[in-house]
Amino acid sequence: MNHILVKNLSVNYKNFCALKSVNFDVNKGEFVAIVGKSGSGKTTFLKALAGFVPFLGQVTIPKNIGMMFQNYATFAWLTVSENIAFGLDGKNSKEQIKIIDEHLKLAELEDKRDKYPAELSGGQMQRVALARSLAHNSEVLLMDEPYGSLDAYTRDKMQQWLLNIWTKYNKTIVFVTHNIEEAIFLADRVLVLNDQKFVGEYKISFTRPRNESIKFSPEFNILRQEIFESLNQHLVS
Amino acid sequence: MKKFLWFILPIIFLLILWEMISHSGFVSITLFPPPSKVFASLWEMIISKTIFLDLRDSLWRLILGLFLGSAFGVIIGLFTGRNKIFENIFLPIIQIFRPLPPVAIIPLVIIWFGIDDGAKIFSIAFAVFFPVWLNTHIGVGRIAQEFLWSAKLLTASSIKIFHKIVFPSAIPFIIAGIRTGIAVAFVMVFVSELSGASGGLGYRISISSLTYRIDEMIAALIVLGALGALTDQLFVFATNKIFPWIKFSIK
Repeated sequence: MNHILVKNLSVNYKNFCALKSVNFDVNKGEFVAIVGKSGSGKTTFLKALAGFVPFLGQVTIPKNIGMMFQNYATFAWLTVSENIAFGLDGKNSKEQIKIIDEHLKLAELEDKRDKYPAELSGGQMQRVALARSLAHNSEVLLMDEPYGSLDAYTRDKMQQWLLNIWTKYNKTIVFVTHNIEEAIFLADRVLVLNDQKFVGEYKISFTRPRNESIKFSPEFNILRQEIFESLNQHLVS
Repeated sequence: MKKFLWFILPIIFLLILWEMISHSGFVSITLFPPPSKVFASLWEMIISKTIFLDLRDSLWRLILGLFLGSAFGVIIGLFTGRNKIFENIFLPIIQIFRPLPPVAIIPLVIIWFGIDDGAKIFSIAFAVFFPVWLNTHIGVGRIAQEFLWSAKLLTASSIKIFHKIVFPSAIPFIIAGIRTGIAVAFVMVFVSELSGASGGLGYRISISSLTYRIDEMIAALIVLGALGALTDQLFVFATNKIFPWIKFSIK
């Protein structure tokens, strides 16, 4: 069943076309990664899905979505628990406390409850941002290079953490990255975005739960090579 | 302790140097009274309570002017920074008044409001308004788009977004504006008390000047300077207590 359906989506900025008649669909609970180089339209695509930019075409997406950004967008003036509670309108304080506790545990930040984002590491801030969306019960998570500013070690840890969360909550995820390895490791399907349109689609059939060792398998390397070529072919032509 | 010594030693050195120069005979001791005489006058002003009465008058004008100027600056800045219609209406008016040196309006304000506190408070509020407005206007306009997008996905209430996201994101700017406002307010309280006042530190300084009591003048200047520094530090202390996250944003 399609959870997100996009038909002939085009986005035009003042002087240039950021997306050219793109088609896209995601099933409920599916993890889709989009890879593309800078300027390929990845971020614009997510913004269009979220309704942040005007577009032509048709986008069907659930109302309740969460979005994660490379710069975290955790509210600097709210503590970790206040950040998580931000989307809990209409819940009484008892329910709120329960949800906050549950999501602090999920984000492994129980001891940081009253800290401000500036007191956290990049990985911790990104966990707050995700916990905030999960607490809000977002059905779809749009992630715009969320681990782009993290070091390699933290990035690996965060990928594993995200997979655990995804397995537990079974959310629909659209994950944008320029890192091919990250896309293959995380996703059920990898789409290649180039020159403002999708130019390749790869089904990733590694069994789950996945662990780091698959990154060293021959199948992983073949996929990496194919996606790499797909990305670069279109740049040359 | 070491830090304190480094703070106090240059001051002691300066006082000794000053005392020596005053007694050296190269300068008139009446025109350049030594610190011992200045502090004796200060003590006299404390005993006779005149300094407290002056402080009360100046502080009252200062606080009220600062409060009014800041309140209007923040409120109008929030509107002009976030709303194009308000910006279009207010910006030309504000830009006409902004280049005016605030002290230039004092004679006009005295004619309008008389020589009472009203004129002084208005002059201070007028001067404080501009830096506070400008900082608020820029602050709310600069909010990262990602904050607004995240907030919009999490709540449908635009009042909540304004109250919990837009306004707090501008607080570091507003605080910087009010700190500039405090410095401006001190200039204005002093200048506005120079003419047409019957009390206040500015009045004390101008009266001492007329009676050639240079020691009293310097004593009142020291109190004015100390009050300015204390107000600024108190403001910083209070804002850090109320908004503990600020210390991270002004790294």
